[in-house]
Amino acid sequence: MNTADNKRSIIVGIFVLLALVILIAAIFTLGGNQKRFISTIQVRALFDDVAGLKTGNNVWFSGVKIGTIKSISLHGDSQVEVTMNIEESAQEYIRKDAIARISSESFIGNKNIIIESGTQQAGIIQDGDRITAVNPLNTDDLMETLQQNNKNLVAITGDFKQLSSKLVNGEGTVGAMLTDTAMADNFRTIVANLQRVTQNTMRASNDLNRFTSQLNNPGSLANELITDTTVFNQLQSSMAQLKEASTSAAALTQNLQQATSNINSQNSAMGVLLNDKEFARNLQSTMQNLETSTEKFDQNMEALQNNFLLRGFFRKQAKEQEKLKQQQQSQPQDTTVTN
Amino acid sequence: MDQSNREKTNVRRRKSFLTKRLDRFFLELYHIYAFVSRFFREVFFPPYEWREIIKQCYEVGVKSLPLISITAFIIGIVFTNQSRPSLAEFGATSWLPALISVAIVRAMGPLVTAIIASGKIGSSIGAELGSMRVTEQIDAMEVSATNPYKFLVVSRVLATTLMIPALTMYTTLVALLGGYLNVHQNELTTLITFFTQVFDAITFLDIIASTVKSVLFGFTIGMVGCYKGYHSSKGTEGVGKAANSSVVTAMFLIFIEELLIMQVINAIRIM
Repeated sequence: MNTADNKRSIIVGIFVLLALVILIAAIFTLGGNQKRFISTIQVRALFDDVAGLKTGNNVWFSGVKIGTIKSISLHGDSQVEVTMNIEESAQEYIRKDAIARISSESFIGNKNIIIESGTQQAGIIQDGDRITAVNPLNTDDLMETLQQNNKNLVAITGDFKQLSSKLVNGEGTVGAMLTDTAMADNFRTIVANLQRVTQNTMRASNDLNRFTSQLNNPGSLANELITDTTVFNQLQSSMAQLKEASTSAAALTQNLQQATSNINSQNSAMGVLLNDKEFARNLQSTMQNLETSTEKFDQNMEALQNNFLLRGFFRKQAKEQEKLKQQQQSQPQDTTVTN
Repeated sequence: MDQSNREKTNVRRRKSFLTKRLDRFFLELYHIYAFVSRFFREVFFPPYEWREIIKQCYEVGVKSLPLISITAFIIGIVFTNQSRPSLAEFGATSWLPALISVAIVRAMGPLVTAIIASGKIGSSIGAELGSMRVTEQIDAMEVSATNPYKFLVVSRVLATTLMIPALTMYTTLVALLGGYLNVHQNELTTLITFFTQVFDAITFLDIIASTVKSVLFGFTIGMVGCYKGYHSSKGTEGVGKAANSSVVTAMFLIFIEELLIMQVINAIRIM
């Protein structure tokens, strides 16, 4: 072989080698993607309907691809047994009571199986175990629900159509609101009033704000009232006294009430005095008798004064009185002279 | 007189077994069968023409690489770009890598490589062997005790059978890179994400089918080119015909093989 032949052979060798490298890299990448070269366990699930699931489709757990569908076979009367290859590394997360559910990778994408982890108490799944399967939602069921929704939508839009035509024609309260200009004016007035009320409220709130800020001014009466604990204690004691006083007043009132009732009652002396008409008449006649007696007594006394036995005594008394009067009159004149 | 004429006609009729055309057709089929079966008889027995095989591998594989690489790269870009609007209608442009992957690995990689190779290599083999036949070089080799079939046909068919799969690997990779370039420019998909999606969409069966197809395409290109060249006639006109016929027949057979293999692979896929 000459040099040219050697060179050609080497180039061909490199060419073939590179092609083989591409092929092997593709095989390994694909194998890695499909988890072909890692140790797996087999888990089975029994479905009523696999909805087009195929061998090689993915198995997901918590959004992570953990295996592929190994085989799908009919089982029993009309069930389908699906065998899945699941990575050993994912085994510890799947429990014996885990649930297998058929889902889609996207709305129109491939079917896959989603495994939902079971409870901690159930224990870790083992090779060859069978897990509970949840049957997928049928497309026909979906369509039926959609059809029902469509009917509802038709009814709703029909109602809306009726409602909007009424609104346009000005029927009903809302229709009138939309079409009646007087109502619009009223509404405008209401809004204006509301605006005014808002302004007033704002002003009141400002005042309140100012007042509260004054409350916070140290030295002011209000602040003292709020902050000074001595005043508060005094107020508290005053309140206690006031309460006491009011209690006493209540007792007094009660006594008074009792006394008044006693007065009003004819059993007591005062009650008899005030209320007994018979007694009043007697009292009146007594008083008349007394007046008559007094008049007569007066006459007797006058007669007694003129009696010679007692005349001297009375004259002496009159003189002493005269003398005392004169002394009283002379006393103020003396005081003015000395001044 | 009449009797002698009838006898002459019978003799003429006896020369063609069925009809002239059908006879020629079946004869051609037999020649093809004999030519192909001779390849399998010769290929496993020494002496092996290693130097010629490597030379042909170099011609078929290495020299075709630039042309095939450029074509594959352009095809990757164009196919991705043309597929985007259809997927965009569903808001599914994120599926572009998967689509490109399936299309290129399953069909376009082997097919594009085979078509370009049949145009470049098939015609060159047809023309080369045709001119050798016309200039009686093949006859001279037979006379000089050299096996022209082994030297010319086996080496070329082996070269195409081995090199077309290798070229298919390159084509697939380069076309995918072209597709990635377009996807990256538009969807800002990273290289890792792109190739993850690419390998998510294909299976081992796709790679095996692609390799088997390219082996068969390579064998077809080599065999058709050699057959047409080896059996060319009518002087320089025959050389042109051999070259042209090599390309047309090889392409036609490639498409038929593609169709058949696709059916077989789909049947395996369903199983």
